[in-house]
Amino acid sequence: MDALLQILITGLTLGSMYALGSVGLALTYGTMGMFNMAHGVFMTVGAYMSYTAASLWGLPIPIAIISGILAGGIVGAAMHLLIVRFMLDREDFQTTIMVATAGVAILLQDIILKQYGAYPFRQPLQIEGSFRIGQTAITYQSLAIMGIAALMIGAMAWLLTKTRFGLAIRATAMNQEAAQLMGVKTELTYFQVILIAGTLAATAGILISSLASLSPSMGTNPLIRAFVICVVAGLGSVTGAGFTALVLGVMEAAIGYYFGVRYGFPVLLGIVIVVLIFKPAGLFGKQGVIRA
Amino acid sequence: MMHLSDLKKHLIALLVILAFIAFLPMVITQRYFLGEIILFMIWASVATQWNVLLGHAGVFSLGQMLFFAIGAYAVAMMGYYLDASPWMSLPIGASAAAVAALFIGLACLRLGSAYVALLTFAIVFMVGTLVMTETNCFTTVGQTCQPLFGGGNGFSGFDDLGFRKLLKGKWVVGNYYVVLGVLAISLLASIIVIHGRLGLAFRAIGDSAIYAAARGMNRTKFHLIAFVITAFFTGLTGAVYAAHFRFAGPSLFDFSTLVFILAIIVVGGLKSTWGPIFGAALIMILVEFAKDMGDVQNSAVGLVIILFVLIFPKGIAGSATKIFRRAMTAKNL
Repeated sequence: MDALLQILITGLTLGSMYALGSVGLALTYGTMGMFNMAHGVFMTVGAYMSYTAASLWGLPIPIAIISGILAGGIVGAAMHLLIVRFMLDREDFQTTIMVATAGVAILLQDIILKQYGAYPFRQPLQIEGSFRIGQTAITYQSLAIMGIAALMIGAMAWLLTKTRFGLAIRATAMNQEAAQLMGVKTELTYFQVILIAGTLAATAGILISSLASLSPSMGTNPLIRAFVICVVAGLGSVTGAGFTALVLGVMEAAIGYYFGVRYGFPVLLGIVIVVLIFKPAGLFGKQGVIRA
Repeated sequence: MMHLSDLKKHLIALLVILAFIAFLPMVITQRYFLGEIILFMIWASVATQWNVLLGHAGVFSLGQMLFFAIGAYAVAMMGYYLDASPWMSLPIGASAAAVAALFIGLACLRLGSAYVALLTFAIVFMVGTLVMTETNCFTTVGQTCQPLFGGGNGFSGFDDLGFRKLLKGKWVVGNYYVVLGVLAISLLASIIVIHGRLGLAFRAIGDSAIYAAARGMNRTKFHLIAFVITAFFTGLTGAVYAAHFRFAGPSLFDFSTLVFILAIIVVGGLKSTWGPIFGAALIMILVEFAKDMGDVQNSAVGLVIILFVLIFPKGIAGSATKIFRRAMTAKNL
């Protein structure tokens, strides 16, 4: 029982961070067919920015977190304005954008490495203490992580479903040309989507670094998780990505608990490949919905 | 002008390029430069195979470094544990890579291209992490523990190609021609694939997947064939890499290695035949300069990728053909 509760808590903490990381990725793919290889570096940027704000500039923690989140959004917006904008009309957009964003990823990662060094820092944004249910210790830190993740994803869900702005995004995702004909400025929509994805990724990065530590390559691991989650959920399915993230988080925690942390991800990936053999468009994806 | 088929023209070009590279050791004697050219040939071969897969067959695999690593590790492990000569393990490494590609391909290639990219990327990452985090000792040599797959340090110091004994001080030249041989096989295979019947099938599928399917062409089958063939030659290149450097380690799985080779392909020109050769030469020179300027090679590679994707999406090969065509039409006018 205690082990089960422990696994559940660890898994949901992991899962909510993964959800935060993958929802943005699913959103960008769903709206514009773009797979962003720099998504992981957005996480790194967010984490380093809030570290800088809190430790080096001595700003209070809430402001440090917000500045980290904003930094992710700004980097995303800059990438759209400088690069993605010019490539939208390419015939082979889907592949070339992956190559271009891989370039952005390695460039940003190298800049962070040169600026801060390879030595891993401790993220100062920590909440000390824990309480107990039975024998299981639950840290306030993991509660805060789940809370922040729920808040951010909730805010995004509200934006997407309840506002005109969200309607424009959903319309563009369904059919770009029809949306354009209805007066949606699709280019602006794309910009907003990358901005949202950047802020979500940065939040994920801040939360992840509060559990582990800061290093220039910290984004790679969650990025791959996010990839796998989006693939299982069905590319572009935003809600599906959120749910899948939670489930995979708990599964990874369970495998890690029983077989060792080393095997958590490999076993997960094996299961994912088996799932894809039976459902090639993912669990929540509809065959043929994705634009060619 | 003589009428030669596309295939023959490219084969003649291949002979010229190979003859040129074969001639270089006559004038260049510094070991450092020869080493750099060997590295150039290795990356050019990997990029050529990847270009066949990515540019021509349309399989968006990010897993090529896994096949390279399988070839390299096969040579390293057989040399380390069995004292096998690389000459014997070269074909074994290449075949192991092809077998791995067959299984991964069967699992992934039915899916859409974005899925293929993400899954192959995840698989490489997973294997890399498993190798790097391995801590159980398989054997203990002196005081050092050696995990089965080498752990974070990898393997080094196993048997080389045997030229150190044979040619003494000029052993690099021996390795040089072996690597050149591998490059020659890899290029020859790529030309035959691109300009032969397989290439025709790739073009048909690329032009209209639905029409090709209606004519009875199985997309997954052709993608799988391309995946396995390119994995074989990528594995062979990896094997010769390990034999030359007497090293194989988890750094081969690094994201920066992957992006480095992507840069070669993008700069050379996706969908070209000869682009990767020129791309490899240019990126090697770029990295050499960037190292001198304070280890900024990753930034430089990133910047170059972005610039080329934005401004010259067809790479050098594409731009060169364009200029050439323009010059030809100008003359005819």
